[in-house]
Amino acid sequence: MILPARLGLAVALCGALALHAQQKAITNPVAGDPAAIREGASLFRGNCSPCHGLNARGGGRGPDLTAGRWVHGSSDAEIFHTITHGVPGTEMPANDFEDSETWAILAYIRSLTPAKTENVSGDRVAGEKIFWQTAGCSTCHMVHGRGGVLGPDLSRVGGARSVPYLIESIREPSKELTSGTLDPNNHYGIPLMYDTVTVVTAGGEKIAGVVKNEDTFSIQLMDTHQQLQFFLKKDLQQVSHERKSLMPAYSEDMLKPAQLKDLVAYLESLREE
Amino acid sequence: MRRAIAWLALLLCAGAQAQVTYQRLVGADQEPQNWLTYSGGYSGWRYSRLDQINAGNASRLAMKWTFQVADLGQFETTPLVVDGVLYGTGQNDRAFALDARTGRPIWRYQRNLPEKLQPCCGMVNRGFAILGNRLFMATLDGHVVALDTRTGNLVWDVKAADSKAAYVFTVAPLVVKNEVIVGISGGEYGVRGFVAAYDAETGKQRWRFDTVPGPGEPGHESWAGDSWKTGGAPAWITGSYDPELNLVYWPTGNPSPSGYGGERAGDNLYSNSMLALDADSGKLKWYFQFTPHDLYDYDATQVPVLVDEDWEGRPRKLLLQANRNGFLYVLDRTDGKFLQATAFGKVTWAKSIAADGRPVLDPEVMPNATGQRVCPGALGLTNWYSPSYSPDSKLLYVATSDECDIFTSLPQNYRVGHDFLGSVYVPDPVVRPTGALKALDPATGAAKWEFKYFSNPNGGVLSTRGGVVFAGESDGNFIALDGRTGKDLWNIQLGAAIYSTAITYQLDGKQYVVIPAGSALFAFAVMPD
Repeated sequence: MILPARLGLAVALCGALALHAQQKAITNPVAGDPAAIREGASLFRGNCSPCHGLNARGGGRGPDLTAGRWVHGSSDAEIFHTITHGVPGTEMPANDFEDSETWAILAYIRSLTPAKTENVSGDRVAGEKIFWQTAGCSTCHMVHGRGGVLGPDLSRVGGARSVPYLIESIREPSKELTSGTLDPNNHYGIPLMYDTVTVVTAGGEKIAGVVKNEDTFSIQLMDTHQQLQFFLKKDLQQVSHERKSLMPAYSEDMLKPAQLKDLVAYLESLREE
Repeated sequence: MRRAIAWLALLLCAGAQAQVTYQRLVGADQEPQNWLTYSGGYSGWRYSRLDQINAGNASRLAMKWTFQVADLGQFETTPLVVDGVLYGTGQNDRAFALDARTGRPIWRYQRNLPEKLQPCCGMVNRGFAILGNRLFMATLDGHVVALDTRTGNLVWDVKAADSKAAYVFTVAPLVVKNEVIVGISGGEYGVRGFVAAYDAETGKQRWRFDTVPGPGEPGHESWAGDSWKTGGAPAWITGSYDPELNLVYWPTGNPSPSGYGGERAGDNLYSNSMLALDADSGKLKWYFQFTPHDLYDYDATQVPVLVDEDWEGRPRKLLLQANRNGFLYVLDRTDGKFLQATAFGKVTWAKSIAADGRPVLDPEVMPNATGQRVCPGALGLTNWYSPSYSPDSKLLYVATSDECDIFTSLPQNYRVGHDFLGSVYVPDPVVRPTGALKALDPATGAAKWEFKYFSNPNGGVLSTRGGVVFAGESDGNFIALDGRTGKDLWNIQLGAAIYSTAITYQLDGKQYVVIPAGSALFAFAVMPD
């Protein structure tokens, strides 16, 4: 289209000022297109699923993308930018897709059934008290530099995990174990899990803890007293992995439904600052 | 006069030192002080007659030197050692020559690569081939180059394929007579695979065998529609060679897209196959396809092991391959006749291998859109890392990956230079993958012993007349085991995953073992009592 000269000038002048606004206004040209969604699913599985999980519901490293929480912007243009440029200061890398591929991935993500949005009706302040006092969560978990070191740091858990995931992690912590160490030298490596390991020393002492690292000849764990313990396997009688979390399952007896709501409200509030 | 003769002798020695002839390559096993080809010899054994390091003294192994490549990524090279000089390649197509006694570099080479390249699995190179005073390297940007052994200077450089369409080389070439044989990578990007030979003197292409037959060629009918154009069947691991039969045995990889077969109905020849090619013409003498119409990424890119042994009462020229699909195959290498296949670990994708060598599939475990658990996983029960055959123990040592994966399958549009996978696999979330080093009896397929690894491996096996087998783990341990029993003799933590297989050589009466790990080469020898 050829613009009339004066109008063209006006467009040029406004262009620079409007750039940011335009970026926000750009929308996915293939939104809802079944072919694009199929292609996006395939690209997602090949490129994104290692961190965000096979169905985008969160993996060991990347957040649940169906949770409806877009920490770095929720518009099409903003998510496009996040995918192509990555997020500095996090593990999210820049990606070298063609634009049409990035849009296809976005079409796929938007096509997913959103995670059930539970009503986070709890009292955040009451939840904070449960976390730090009543339920003893902080014995093992750290938030912003305070708390224990046996379990994962939860300083940003609200931005990374959906409410149903948080509830499941409290009620049934062994259902899906959190990933631990991933060896950056090992391209095909599988991260270790936050699972419970018990070793029996030559002298018969049983020591339980969370495994920090392990190989054919040695094991490094953090015991339940939050002390690091290192062993050569040849010095041990036994090493057993229990494939379950050390965290107690908080049943309704231990944490009433109302208390759970409060706790989730607190956890949900923990975001990037 | 005597002095003149002495000088002449010295000159001749110096000349002989620099020249690796084809005859020397044929007789590589006769000079175990050197390591002359990728697998240590044409038979693909990765075995050495050196015996200074043995089960009695391996516990006294200690580091002699280290060489840092100064680059990151997987270090997959197999160095060559010729008369005191070690030649290796590194990440991003670096290369170097070292004093094999001290590890001090003599020269370094760094190829200036284009910005965007598409190797599936890292900016890797698996090593040189050598002939005369030239080293041959196949590069990530699709070229084959010759470097001068003495300087690292470029002698010739030919473009073999278009890296913009994701044709890349990672393979260590194989020199046969005066030709340099290479195979392409790119099975994750819908390339059309090939094996090609180049004149060692000039770089001129001598022959090329397309691993996906074009219209009018036998095997073309095994591809539906136009699927052959993006059919994959790359050829990214170094083959073996039988000088008597003049046949090059070159294995091929997965059909593309690896995870979805809906648009490539048929057997998809010659993906996942062993090719027997005439070394002079590149003509196909026979082929054997291990995994027809693959849906699991079961590349057959494992080094073929050539063994002459009695089979059912008569001497036979055999080809052994512990295949990524989980079966140890025995073929007659004169005609490709299938003799036997035995599972050497957990296999669920096929119920068995029939008498004609074809798998008996289990329809219950076909990949689908939501995911199907299949063993072995996509990384295979073993993979490209070298096996080793010892003529002393008559065992085939194989590093195995005990992993099952959830395979999903979805159609995907082909785009030049882009991933073409047909969806993906994820490791079984319940059972953590592990690995092992297994000593297999080729006659029965049974494991005589196995040494368990905590994690699944990316490194292969070296065996020696000293009765020691060396292997590298992905958790960074370099280990020495007793080849007869699997007993752990010695191990050392090298601080990074090992993606290659050890070599050995002897210099000044001392046997060295060299292994790459992380960004460094490590050399070990036995310390005095």
